[in-house]
Amino acid sequence: MNKDSKANPFVRGVLTTLGDEKRQSISIPLFAILLSLIAGAIVILCLGKNPLTAFLSFLQGSGILPKPEYAAKKSIITDLMSMINMWTPMIFAALAVAVALKTGLFNIGVSGQMLVAGFAASITVGYSNLPAAIAMPLVLVIGLVCGGAVGALIGWLKHRFNINEVVTSIMLNYIFQYVISFFINSYYINPVSRQSQPISAAARLTLVDVPVFGLKMDIPLGFLLTIPIAFLVLFLLNKTRVGYELKIVGLNKKAAKYAGIKVGKSMVTSMAISGALAGLAGVTLYLGYYNSIQPRVLTSVGFDSIAVCLLGNSHPIGILFSSLLISIISKGSNYMSSIMGIPQEIAQVITGLILLFSACGAYIRYRVAQAREEFPGGKLQIGAESKEKGGDKV
Amino acid sequence: MNTIIISGLAFALPLFIIAIGGIYSERSGITNLALEGFLGFGAFFGAASVMVMTGGNLAGIEVPMFLVALVFSMIGGALFAMLHALLCIPFKANQVISGVVINILAAALTAFFTSQINTVLVGKPTNKFVLGVCAKFTVPGISKIPVLGAFFTDIYYYVPIIIVVALFMTYILYKSRFGLRLRACGDNPHAVDAAGGDVSKTRFIAVMISGALSGLGGICFAYSISASFSPSIYAGYGFLAIAALIFGNWKIGPTLGACLLFGFARAAGYKLAQTLGLSSAFSDIIMILPYVLTLLLLMFFSSTNRAPRALGEIYDKGKR
Repeated sequence: MNKDSKANPFVRGVLTTLGDEKRQSISIPLFAILLSLIAGAIVILCLGKNPLTAFLSFLQGSGILPKPEYAAKKSIITDLMSMINMWTPMIFAALAVAVALKTGLFNIGVSGQMLVAGFAASITVGYSNLPAAIAMPLVLVIGLVCGGAVGALIGWLKHRFNINEVVTSIMLNYIFQYVISFFINSYYINPVSRQSQPISAAARLTLVDVPVFGLKMDIPLGFLLTIPIAFLVLFLLNKTRVGYELKIVGLNKKAAKYAGIKVGKSMVTSMAISGALAGLAGVTLYLGYYNSIQPRVLTSVGFDSIAVCLLGNSHPIGILFSSLLISIISKGSNYMSSIMGIPQEIAQVITGLILLFSACGAYIRYRVAQAREEFPGGKLQIGAESKEKGGDKV
Repeated sequence: MNTIIISGLAFALPLFIIAIGGIYSERSGITNLALEGFLGFGAFFGAASVMVMTGGNLAGIEVPMFLVALVFSMIGGALFAMLHALLCIPFKANQVISGVVINILAAALTAFFTSQINTVLVGKPTNKFVLGVCAKFTVPGISKIPVLGAFFTDIYYYVPIIIVVALFMTYILYKSRFGLRLRACGDNPHAVDAAGGDVSKTRFIAVMISGALSGLGGICFAYSISASFSPSIYAGYGFLAIAALIFGNWKIGPTLGACLLFGFARAAGYKLAQTLGLSSAFSDIIMILPYVLTLLLLMFFSSTNRAPRALGEIYDKGKR
């Protein structure tokens, strides 16, 4: 039954690459991505197109590889900047999911928190005449505070009334969506675009159409914050007392309580941090990538970020890479679709496949361990580590 | 008042059947965030089979084709749910990530296939199957009773079907041997194993039932609210159903209450906006009614809420 146990060089190669447990946290996701790209290639082959060209066009469309030709004042850097512009909110949103997940909470309301933060920052700073030097930091602070407040509310409702955070988040998503739609439609609507009025350029976290070396590009300033904040989250979770308490509550509430950790306080803190990160994602999306808000629409970034977070193993550094991958695919899909004549939905299918195979990471690990036990030259002491991290009760 | 009951019921029951699907999956121990994807794919499968069978021309045969759509949406939902079951059970994937992935895949696949099928049938790659609205009927006699009669007036044909299916599924879950096993799988899978039951198989079937019921709910939404199948089916009904089943403490009876609350509050909101003659902007404010009401009620009723004990955990025989 187990074909892997036959000692041929290919299997041996796979086992040596994947078998090292220290490297498995990186090698297994990479292997999963490889599998999913093969599956994606088969899908594209079925449509009668060349998968290699399609994958290259993803990279070209997102500014990793040069396109054969460019429009005036455009180049690979322009595309890259535009991809980074899209990548930025995704990182924050996925970090938001990760922090809540460490405490055993599942923040499915990232989209709603993003909307609140984006809206609050738009109407206060976005429509003011403040100079950029004041406006931009203020936008970030408002995003942090508003998102954090919503997150804290969800955590508090969970702690005080035992309301499942998933229900609260879903309900709040709807409430924010409708209430904000009401305010936009009543006071801030742009009759032409049917969106909210565009915010002032000074408040926008992305500098638009900046002339650099004869090119016109968008510079996403918000991105400068992503990597420091990812490391900050890492530091918070691994090196501070607060982070330690959050993690213990996530691992075992009863043990945490017994050890004298205030479980309720930890849940509120965790959701507040998560909400604040979602708030950052909101301002970088609505006051960066976009400059207006479409009423009655929740962004899909908040939902995709759940998968991105888990693809990155809920680890801040892993998230940087997993969100990059997903951003490249979604940014490159326009270009891929236009030059290949493949419907854009295929990009979504490939994203889905990547996430699908990554979800099987634990299974791959289990099979590798199993195969190594049966493998003549393999180590015998590797146990089947099949317990999945981050499994959450919903 | 009557319109509130009529349209409230038409919204609440599809939601309820989706929520029952969710209960089946979650009571067996498999977290199911994929309801949204299941209902979308099920509705797509039902709508697409009708389109393919009739060649895109529905005129005159709506009612038999509606039944065909119902059956195929359940089959489609169950088949698609196998993907979630495969990922979660034999492949030991994280159930949350699997659920989210299923939703992403369902939206992408249905949009892609809809335009492909439409290209073949009508020659245009539109993303919509126009289905029309499900026929309605009124029970003679009883419908004349004030207030109560509204429950028997202008009923969509799917309403009695859903009620029958819901009663049957309730019976299975609470009174049958399989239902007992299923609920035990969610609370103490090791006990099921010790008693000679097959945890994986039970959970697999539970997830497939979940898909079939979600598909049924999805096609009912397609035949009532939007009168078509299009990407607008992914309007968050699946998440609403999840909220309803958690509100209902993973039990079918209270979940029905939650769904009726959503349905009636939603219909009342619409009616209120209409009678007050409010602009569409103001009706948005009234639309938050069901959600605010839910949150307020949860503050009083959720102190005893408890999820199935083994929910979201991958079953590992060797674990103590």
